[in-house]
Parts: sequence; structure tokens; C-alpha cells
Amino acid sequence: MSQLQVKRRTLLQGAGALTVLAGLGIRPGETLAATDKLRAAITGYNAINTFDPGKASLIPEFYVIWSLYNGLLKFDKDMQIVPDLAESYTTRDDGSLEFTLRKGVTFHDGSALTSDDVKFTLERLLDESFASPNRSKVSDIDKIEIVDDLTFRIYTKKPFAPLLTFLTNARTGTQIVSRKSVEAAGNEAFGRAPVGTGPYKLVSWDVGEGLKLVAHDGYFEGAPTIKSVDIPLISEEASGVTALLGGLADITSTAPAADVPQLLKNPSVKVLRQPGLNVRFLSLNLQKPPFDDVHFRRAVSMAFQREAMVSAVIFGEGVPLYGTIPPLLGKYYVPGERTYAKFDPQAAKEELAKSAYKADEHEVKVITWGGSWWKRYAEIFVAQVNQVLGTRFAVEVTDANAAYAREKSGDFQIGVWGWLGMIDPDEYMGDIFSTDGWRNFGKYSNPEVDKQLEAARTTLDTDKRAEYYHQAEDIIMNDMPVIPCFCSNIHNLVRDGVDGFVQKPYSNFGDQFANMKVS
Amino acid sequence: MVAVTETADQATVRQAGRKSLAALAAGLATKLIGAVAVLIVGTLVIFLTMKAAPGDPALAALGEQATPQAVAAFRVQHGLDAPVYAQYLSWLGGIVQGDFGTSLAVASGMPVGDLLPSKLLATVFIGLYALTLAIVISLVLGSVAARNRGGTVDMLATSLAVFGISMPDFWLSYVLIFGLGLSLQLFPTYGYVSPVVDLPAALYAGFLPALAIAAPMAAVFSRTLRAVLIETMSRSYATAARSFGLREGFIFIHFVLRNALVPYLTVVGLQIRYILGGVVVVERIFGIPGVGSLMVDGAFARDFPVLQTCTVVFLAIVLVVNMLTDLVCMLLDPRRTS
Amino acid sequence: MPRLLSGFLRHRTGAAGLFITLFVLAAVFIGPSLLPFGPEDMDFMATLAPPSLSHWFGTDSFGRDVLARVLAGGQVSIFISAASVILATSVGCTMGIVAGYHGGWADASLMRIVDLLFAFPAFILAMLLMVLFGFSTLNIVLALALVYLPIFARISRNTTMLIREEPFVQASRLMGRRPLAIMFTQILPNITAPIMVQASVALAFAIILEAGLSFIGLGVQPPTPSLGGIMADGREYFGRAPWVLTLSGSAIAFALLGINLLGDGIRDMTDPRLKERI
Repeated sequence: MSQLQVKRRTLLQGAGALTVLAGLGIRPGETLAATDKLRAAITGYNAINTFDPGKASLIPEFYVIWSLYNGLLKFDKDMQIVPDLAESYTTRDDGSLEFTLRKGVTFHDGSALTSDDVKFTLERLLDESFASPNRSKVSDIDKIEIVDDLTFRIYTKKPFAPLLTFLTNARTGTQIVSRKSVEAAGNEAFGRAPVGTGPYKLVSWDVGEGLKLVAHDGYFEGAPTIKSVDIPLISEEASGVTALLGGLADITSTAPAADVPQLLKNPSVKVLRQPGLNVRFLSLNLQKPPFDDVHFRRAVSMAFQREAMVSAVIFGEGVPLYGTIPPLLGKYYVPGERTYAKFDPQAAKEELAKSAYKADEHEVKVITWGGSWWKRYAEIFVAQVNQVLGTRFAVEVTDANAAYAREKSGDFQIGVWGWLGMIDPDEYMGDIFSTDGWRNFGKYSNPEVDKQLEAARTTLDTDKRAEYYHQAEDIIMNDMPVIPCFCSNIHNLVRDGVDGFVQKPYSNFGDQFANMKVS
Repeated sequence: MVAVTETADQATVRQAGRKSLAALAAGLATKLIGAVAVLIVGTLVIFLTMKAAPGDPALAALGEQATPQAVAAFRVQHGLDAPVYAQYLSWLGGIVQGDFGTSLAVASGMPVGDLLPSKLLATVFIGLYALTLAIVISLVLGSVAARNRGGTVDMLATSLAVFGISMPDFWLSYVLIFGLGLSLQLFPTYGYVSPVVDLPAALYAGFLPALAIAAPMAAVFSRTLRAVLIETMSRSYATAARSFGLREGFIFIHFVLRNALVPYLTVVGLQIRYILGGVVVVERIFGIPGVGSLMVDGAFARDFPVLQTCTVVFLAIVLVVNMLTDLVCMLLDPRRTS
Repeated sequence: MPRLLSGFLRHRTGAAGLFITLFVLAAVFIGPSLLPFGPEDMDFMATLAPPSLSHWFGTDSFGRDVLARVLAGGQVSIFISAASVILATSVGCTMGIVAGYHGGWADASLMRIVDLLFAFPAFILAMLLMVLFGFSTLNIVLALALVYLPIFARISRNTTMLIREEPFVQASRLMGRRPLAIMFTQILPNITAPIMVQASVALAFAIILEAGLSFIGLGVQPPTPSLGGIMADGREYFGRAPWVLTLSGSAIAFALLGINLLGDGIRDMTDPRLKERI
């Protein structure tokens, strides 16, 4: 009865308002898009601090940066590295890389791209006083040598396998900036008045609301057919769906997993999806009880069903994960369950019996944040483990910022965690499991693993490199310093009548605008 | 929340009505001095809370991918490594010179003073829009209910009003989105258009959120209006007017409604806090870039310059609106003119 | 009392409110023991099941019975809202009465604190508290109490100021009774009516506020169900299981309708100016 009342009342008011609005000359449905204009909503985020790739760190910043700049290289749709600003590159006998730039590439300010801009870009990242959050991507570079206007060489201190990956137009920060513009504007102002070589230029930016781009007609691949792009920032993912369904957006950067099955049946929407480059695991603090005990860690890892997690937390939009490398990393990935990374209640109890701790000896707080799937992720984990092992685990919800700070500073026992959009196995392995890796929050340390990971990082041959990672992963999954859970699908929602978006597993976005068609 | 202090406010209003302009000015001065003191204490409390809470603006600005080196550099760059009292004093010193500080993590490096105007505009626009809707709805519901007191119409109108404050705001937002937006395609489901850029489009785009915000206010207003109308209708002057043979409609408009306006407006004035900060949820669902959302973002990101500046602005607005309401009530009070 | 009750029953909307409230209370406190499911029982074979004879409100993404969760969440919400209103009333009224009775310096300083609280948006206040002290039921109660405190303080102050000059209070003062005794025995009973009306509104609103807090991710700790948490979850999978948000929201609206109608009834009964005209 209560619902009926709502309907009647809102209907009456809506009808009244409609009459008023009609009088003002406004008509519903006046949201039809022009064919040279794209409305690309960034959903689930509302913070952008800078458009300077050297300073950018947040995913939404990169969503836009990918349309403003180019890297020397880029990923194609099969995730193969192909030239972007570089026309070609070769490895020289002394181990350095020689790049030749394309001719006739111009920045938004009209100046031509030269080797000097590349040198400036990379040296700026290396400069410690610039304090780039992306410095680690290039920290092994020794020097950049200019041969001529379009040719330069990069020397590394030692062989550095991830270098080519880190020079792509992905979440790297190595996108090429214009020396002239940066020096004219200064670092701080450049972040708000970016000048790159990309297909779009920034027109305006309203903090927390969105931004507008316009085509760079001098783009080296030809002037984009989409002349202008509106990018609203929609902090609620669910509101992104209603905006798209309401005809107010042409494409979204993400979609709530829960809505996907329903949206797949909706003819007015196309759902692009595939497994993403991400890992979701439980981060363990190896310096505090009870997770300083390897048997306890293994027991917990075997005490929950990853499949149930995938279906209840992300509604089946993902795959269970039994290792530390996501499936999309090709030859680096090893499929299948592992001894200690699978659901096996009997083995879990046996393993717990070997532990120095009793099941209910410690009260364990599982840190998570927010109100949506991150919370459910912790909730379902806790419920299952308590049921199987009789432990005293409890969920501790806080806000994302507090959770990051606590996990990064070691002020935690166990917390949900995940890395997203990383493109090189070194980021999923070396940074997380090396003794001095900066993503190693739980202070895991195993000299044998360190050795393998260092070898992998300095081996350019990809087959051999993969072999090192496989060996390291075997050891790591015995020590169980993190408990792998699942890998999520990535999604884009596209309005019917909009075409040309090619999705890549690291969650690309802005790099595709120029190729899209709106009708 | 929606302030619902009908009964008590009639008392306040009677007092306000008796105040003279001079007393109002003196009261204003005391209030201003008190406000400054309160502001300093208030911002200090927020600042210390933010400092004591776990979390770090650097992590908000740089995200979960931030290396420890980048975090350390950010802290130095933004003076976060200075002693806590020095950070607060430097912000306070800036305020005195009209400098609200620089955002740390909501829009890193942007002067907070540049961030505020467009957010305030959005909040004020949607707030006034909702207020107008609420007033229109309540004038109809409240007067109809009062004139048909005890009848079926009254019961229907009253129940409708009560229903307005019985719905959780985000639930109502979704009912509106799915009902009027997606099913009937009458209104846009998301987005904000600046009223300065295109007023008709702004009114159209803002209708659903304004309605969601207006519903509980309309309910409170109608209930207040009904109560005060019933009370004034039976007052001696209304009875006297009736005995002179004046028509019921004339009496209602000239005597009853006018007398009822004072307590009604007081309750309307009290909604300012709700409009400023209580509508965050609706703002987020519909994507309205208001001050409330900015504050929530600021708190989540530990961006204390943004949070503190918003507090100062909020307090100033609340103060001004309170005084304006007092003033309007004084001018309207029939006892003053007669 | 019987006369009050019979008067109440003649007040149609008030009576409806009373019946709805009693029904809701019975459902919330007795209902869970009649249900075959507990609010935390998961069933992964039956996730997001639509309403049926066994699950009247359907199930959520963990296969938990939504009705069981709404009822259990109702208990939590009622506790939170009652505790916060009681806290706000007792502290707020004390402040208000002291300020109103003494006037001057006490009034000025107490009311400035109230002004500050009043100017501060509820959400931010709640957020800061929870971020600092952790998300817990107690902190939600404290946060909501702080939100309400200024309202109760203002009402009681204003009403006290009016009553302070009444002959019976003057007389007591002349007879040499201590201020504290006057405040409690003479002023307090005379301001209870407006306070009670406001309290009933606040009770209902606390439930909405708690729901809003859960919506932006600031709710009670799981697995404790809360109405806000259930609705926030339901909103996430609204496209697929619309009944979770729709039914839980309707249930809340129904319960609050009862409380608000009851509050209206109480106001009409206790307000002497209105009473004679009903």
C-alpha cells in the first residue's frame, strides 16, 4: 500500500512539472547526441588531481591521460607491444635500446616532437626532486643519449626486463610531454594545462564534476572524427548505469558487476567484458600472530571456497585465483589449484593442528572498506573460515583511506587487498614478494624467492623469465604470504549506436576515443 | 536531517517578534563574536580529529599505487611534515588574509577558494529549487488540510505529508529514477546543469533530485502550516472578522495566512542545515557537485583545508540565514505594523 | 490514562499510528523467533532468490533471508535510534534548561556550542567520529546524538525561557527553593510535551540517517544486519534483485509511517491549544 502512494504522488507531481517544463520549451528525450560528440563517463571515481603523466597516480587520471598523450610504445588489442610515437626500436650490442621516432608528430601547442622531449620526459621522472610517483618505472635507466632529432638511445644500469612494458601508453607515467610547455608553465601548472601529442586536448576541467576535451586536428594518425568528448566523473558506479540507460552517457569506464547479467539482456546497451589484469588477495601481516605461522596461513587459505566468493561477491564476474599472477599475463600465468590454495576443509584442519596457535586463540580483525563488494569480500571470507576452522575472525569496516594507511604501515593482521591495471609480471611478483619490494606490506622474506625474482627482472628472454617466475611462485604458494582469492572481469558499458571501443585487460579508456563512432 | 521544531519555534518566533531592531543589532554583534570563537574551536577540533584519525591525504592523492618515496615527497611538498600546531596556525593565518589554503587530495594543488564558488552555486540552486517545490506542495497540502480539518481530505493530506518524512531519501531517489526517469522517460536520471549556463535545462535536469530533497521538507512544512493555520483560524481576530460577515476566503488570506506565515517561515529557515549538508546522499546519486559532497570527499581524503574551509562557509551561511529569517519574521509580524 | 487512551483511539490517524507501531514492534521483537532462518544463515544454493513462500522478502547475494535480516536490522536500528534520542534528549534538555533558566553568560556559551553543532552537517560529524574511533554501533549512537542534541537544547531553552517568568515559578523562587529543584520539579514537567513530539520525529529520522550513513559505507560492522546496510546492498544489485531494495525500503517506510503518525497523535493529545479543538 505504501508503494502505491509513492507512485501516485510522484506521478502527479511529475506530470505537473512536465506541464511547466513544456511551457518553458523543454522536451524530455532531448538528450540525443550529435555524431561528432562523445560522452564518456568515468564511473566509480570522482578525484582527479593532475593531467601530468609524471605526477599522475590514480586510475581516473590515466583514463584521461591516455587520450592526451602517447607513449613511445603501446599495447595492441592482443596485448602485444607495438610502436606508438616510436617508429621502430632495436636492441644494440651494448644492451642499450635505440629508438627512432615517427616524423611529423606535433604537440598540441604546434611544436614538433623531438628526441629532446623524450629525454626531458624520462629525466624528469628520474629527477628525485620532482618526486614522481612513477619513478620506479624508470629507476633502472642509466642515461638517455640523443643521436639526432628523431633518434635516441636508452641505457640501463643492468638488464631491465620490464622496460618496454613501462614505456607503453598504459598506467606507466612515461607518456611523452613537451619540454617547451612544461618549462613555460612550470610543473604545478602543467598538471592543469597539459600539452601532449595525443588525439585530444583538454578544454576545461571542473573539479569533482568532469572535463571536456576537443580533437587535436594535427594528430599524427589523422584528425579524430569525434570532435569533442565530455567526461563526467560519476562517483557512484550505479549512477553510471542509470546515466547510460537514461541516454546521458555513451560509454562508461566501469560497470557494477551485480548489474551485468541484467544489462546483458538489455538491447539498448552493449556490455564489453573480459578477465582483467588484476589480483584480489588477502594481505597478511607476517610479523604479527597468528599469521606469523605458516601452518595457520595455509589452514586459512584452504578453509574457504573461492568459487563461492566469485559468485557472491562479484556475481560471477571473475575467476578464482590460486596463484599470484593473473590469467591474462600469458606465459607467466600457471593455471589450476595448488596444494595450499584450494578449498579443502579436512586438510585445513590438519594444517591448523600443526600450527603453534589454536583456532580461537587470537581474535582476528579482517580490514576492509566501503559499503559494496569490498565489504562482502571480507564478510564471506570471515563467515566461511569461522565455520570451517572455528576461528574468531571478524570484519572490520573502515574507510578506504584508513585501510590503505593501515595496511601500508603494517598496522593490521589481515586485510582484503587487490592490485589493478598493472601490466608487467615484475609488478605482480618482484614488488610484492621481494624482501625490499615496496608492495610487500606483510614483510615477507625468503632469500630463495629474492634470487629468482631478481633473475626474472634482469632476464630479457621472456621464456626464461617466465621460468623464473614459475619457480618463485611455487615457493611463494607454499609459504602463503598472501592468500590469493580471485581475479575480476573488467567492464565497459556502451550505448547502442556507439562503436569502435576496443577493450584491453588493463582497463583502457581514453586511448580509444579517436577511433569511436557515434550515431 | 530535516529540522522539525514546529512547537518550539513558535515560541522563538514570538520572542523574535517582540525584539526591536536595536536589540537585533546588539544580538547580532554578540552572535558574531560568539561565532568567531566557535569557528576557531570548531576548526581546531576538526583539524586535530583529522590528524589523529588513521589515514593520510598523500594516500588519497596518490592512490593505492603510491610508492613510499612518492608519499614522503608529497608530505614535504605540502608541508605535512611540519609540526601539527604550525600547520593549523598557517591555515588560520591564511584565512585572516582571505586565503583558504590549498587542497591536498580532493584537487591537489588547487586553491580551496577557487573550488568553492561552483559547489556553492550547485548547492544553493538545488536547495532553493527543492525549497520552492516544498513550499508549493506544503501550501497546497497544509491549507487544504487545515480548511477541511477532521475530514477525509485532511486525513489524506496529512497522511501524505507524514509519508514524506517516512521514506529514506536514497530509497525515494531510486523510486524516482526508476519510475519517472527510466520507465516513463520523463526526466534525466543523472547530471547537473549549471543554472548560470542554461536555466531551463538546469531546472529540467535538477527536477528529480530537487523533488527527492523536497519531499521530507514538504512534509514538515505542511504539518507546520496545518497546525498554525488551525490555531490562528480560531483566534479572536479571525472570529471577529467572521462576525463582521467577511467572506471565509478573504479572512483566510488576509488574517489567517498572514499570521501563520511567521512560524511557517521560521521552520523554513531552519532547513538550511539540511539543504547544505544533509543531502549528500541525494547529491551523490544524481551527481550534483554540491558543498556537502565536497565535504564528504574532503573527509574521506583527509583534505583538511577543504574540510575546514567548508565548515567556515557553512557556519557563515547558517548564521546569515538565521538572521535573515529573524528579520523577515519581524517585518511580517502583524503586531509590529499595527 | 484510560481517558487518554480512549481519546487517542478516537484520533483516527493517531490510532492508526499506534496500531502500526505495535505491529512493527511485535514483528521485530517476536517475528525472528518464528522464522526458520537466522539473519546470518548463508545458503549459496539460493542466492538472490525472488520472494516466495519460504522467503517472503527473497534472499540476498549470500542467500540470506531478507525478511530475517530486515527484522534483525530493525532491532538494531530501533536500539540505535532509541539510544541516540535518549542520549540527545537528556544532555540537550539539561543544557537547554540550564541555559534558559540562568540566561546571561551560561546561556550565551551553551548556545554557542549548540550553534556550532547545529551548523555542522550531520554526515560529516558522523564520518569524522567513525573514522577516528572506528565504525561501531556505539559511535553511530554518539554521532546521531550529537546531531539531535542542538535541536533538543534549543527547544528546551526556548520553552524554559517562557516558563521561567510564569507566576508559579516566580513563587517557588520567592519561597527560596533551589534552582536545581525548580528546574526539575517545575520546569521539566512543563516542557515535556514539545520534547516528546520532537523525540518521536527524531526516532523516525534516526533510522533514515543510519540508513544514509550505511549508504556511503559508514554503517555498523558486519555481520550485524542494519536496515541501511540491507538497502545499500539491495541498491547494488537492484537491477537483478529489485525486491531487496524495494521491500526493505517499503518495510522501513511503513514502520516510520507508524511512528510519525503516533507522534502526531501524541502532539495533538498533549498540546493544550490543539486539544480543545479536536
